[in-house]
Amino acid sequence: MRLLVTLFLALPILMQAQGGRGRGAAARGADQTPAPVVEDGIPVTDPLIIAKCSGCHKKDEKGNLTRISWERTTPEGWQEAIKRMVRLNGLELKPDEARSIVKSLSATHGLAPEEAKPVMYFVEHRIQDEEFPNDTVREACAACHPIARARSWHRSKEEWDLLVNMHRGYFIVSEQSFRGRGAMAAAAGGGRGAAAPPAPGTPPVDARPPSDQAVEYLARDYSLNTAAWAAWRARMRAPKLSGRWLISGYQAGRGKVIGEMAIEPGASEDEFTTNVKLTYLKDGSTATRSGKSVVFTGYSWRGRSTTKNATEPSAQKAGGVPAELRETMWIAPDQNSMEGRWFWGGYEEFGYDVTLHRANDGVTVMGTDLSMIKTGSSAQKIKIYGDNFPKLTTADIDFGTGVTVKRIVEQTAQQAVVELDVDAKAIVGKRDVSIRRAVAPNAIAVFDKIDYIKVSPDTALARLGGVKFPKGYQQFEAIAYNRGPDGKLNTPDDVELGRVDAEWSLEEFYAVFGDDDKEFVGTMGPTGFFTPSAEGPNPKRKFSRNNYGDVWAVATYKGAQDKEGKPLTARSYLVVAIPLYVRWDESEGPK
Amino acid sequence: MKHLRAVNHKARRIQEHIENDVVAMQGPPTPAGQRPHVPMGCSIVFSPGWEVDSSGGTAGLCQPVERDLYDCYISCYWPAQVPDHMNNYPDWTAKCAAATKDWRNIDLVFP
Repeated sequence: MRLLVTLFLALPILMQAQGGRGRGAAARGADQTPAPVVEDGIPVTDPLIIAKCSGCHKKDEKGNLTRISWERTTPEGWQEAIKRMVRLNGLELKPDEARSIVKSLSATHGLAPEEAKPVMYFVEHRIQDEEFPNDTVREACAACHPIARARSWHRSKEEWDLLVNMHRGYFIVSEQSFRGRGAMAAAAGGGRGAAAPPAPGTPPVDARPPSDQAVEYLARDYSLNTAAWAAWRARMRAPKLSGRWLISGYQAGRGKVIGEMAIEPGASEDEFTTNVKLTYLKDGSTATRSGKSVVFTGYSWRGRSTTKNATEPSAQKAGGVPAELRETMWIAPDQNSMEGRWFWGGYEEFGYDVTLHRANDGVTVMGTDLSMIKTGSSAQKIKIYGDNFPKLTTADIDFGTGVTVKRIVEQTAQQAVVELDVDAKAIVGKRDVSIRRAVAPNAIAVFDKIDYIKVSPDTALARLGGVKFPKGYQQFEAIAYNRGPDGKLNTPDDVELGRVDAEWSLEEFYAVFGDDDKEFVGTMGPTGFFTPSAEGPNPKRKFSRNNYGDVWAVATYKGAQDKEGKPLTARSYLVVAIPLYVRWDESEGPK
Repeated sequence: MKHLRAVNHKARRIQEHIENDVVAMQGPPTPAGQRPHVPMGCSIVFSPGWEVDSSGGTAGLCQPVERDLYDCYISCYWPAQVPDHMNNYPDWTAKCAAATKDWRNIDLVFP
């Protein structure tokens, strides 16, 4: 089947090659389409880039280098482009030169903070559902990779066209999604993708190839010259980050963490060294790390930190404590807060979701150890974490209506243990926790009943490994919900209450008769930690199949019952896939 | 199935599976509770796909995948998942003299 596809893929390419450029020019002449307007490029002034790149990327009289001057992207985007130049185009660079070029291009040809924020999940290695303008654009771009990859670039129209051509040349199978399955199948004489003739009266369908429609969309919404970039180019300044920062974070499987990061100046004005101390609120265990970081484009923190007390991933310790992790954060333009993900693991599947705030002289409230308190409870002990707590009285602390602070059990400048009474009729919902004028918004939920649970993430991907390739683990969590004021389940007013300890199991996802995936894919630990089996053919399985498969990850929570008096259950669809043989997205950062 | 009764072995097997509906046997629309939701990063436009097949499950994939890995490499078939022989990674299988035995030696590629 693949041979066939390859054959009829090659045909149009050959035809195109024959037609060549002449055809395009002739077509333009015939229908009087004006030649495309050349947008203003962004000149390249760095002597190192000019020396290394202008051999191929010709410099014009305005200081523009071909291609480079009409593109902007993230540090990762530039890193990838440079690596491709080394791999395929004979570029020779020393590691220091490459780092300097990535820094320089990120500053002159980068993204504005508001352009980068929507695609931060891509460099943070989060798996999340993506939105597409339509299915055609989805097919053109996201058949092979997340569309965030394209959205991490801003280019002129001509550059987007050239990017399509680059794919056609270097990754020939992409032609299949660029032309569209329907069109390809029709060309091959029907098949399941062939479109039926439209019914009379239906609106006309955009018959252009998906690649053309994608270029139109990208050139419009991800153009080279934007107001956001013009504004940031003027506003960009050296990051002044030295000092003490307060961390509040969350690690799936281990819960909330808080801590501090001491940032000190590094080798240059955009480099820093860090010392981090983290405390897990659930069990009180601590971890210390030290690291280095670079800030690109005035706001893109990329760091790497290490520890000597590393532990391996396990069901008890989720991702364990990694010997090395990478940090990706978006620094707010006022340089008083940053947020992002610190990640590790064979597929970057483990991580802390972190928010950092610059420590100041005033009181700061970071959060509480519990994520929910029940109505009608009395003398409920709760720990509040923060910074610069003065000598507190009960009047200083506020959890909103219906929650009374009875007494302060003990306190230091960083934490306070208090006893709460919660009125039986207290309003259900998320509450701010405040100490004097300092507030932690939505820090804790008041609830009367856990009505249902959900498994997070609702769709998951693990990868077989452990012999030659790394295992791709998956941590699941059961998240409790309250029905909210409307009394109905699964509506927008439902209140998320935080994670609860559930019992975990795997269930078959029946895809074929005699489906046996559950026996082979791996094991589910008691804490919702899924460990995949080894990669490679398994002689014990029919047809020596790999251990891959798709199953349900099922959580059962016995602390509450549904309408029928049964324990609450929820499940998540888990695909256990084979290793990924190409890794595209190693992030940039200090080595 | 209310008005039908299983009389032979095959029919009884079908009945056994009614409780847990078989997704691959369903035409659209698939029951909402059973419909797989494909994680980001899964490639599905080609049929079968790499991580999941066109129905969103793993039942229709090449078995075992190593049987097909070298072919995917030579024909440059899965550009985002398997290194391609033609342009980007001509030496990917250099450490793998006999593909049937040495497939584990082929390495991850960090571009």
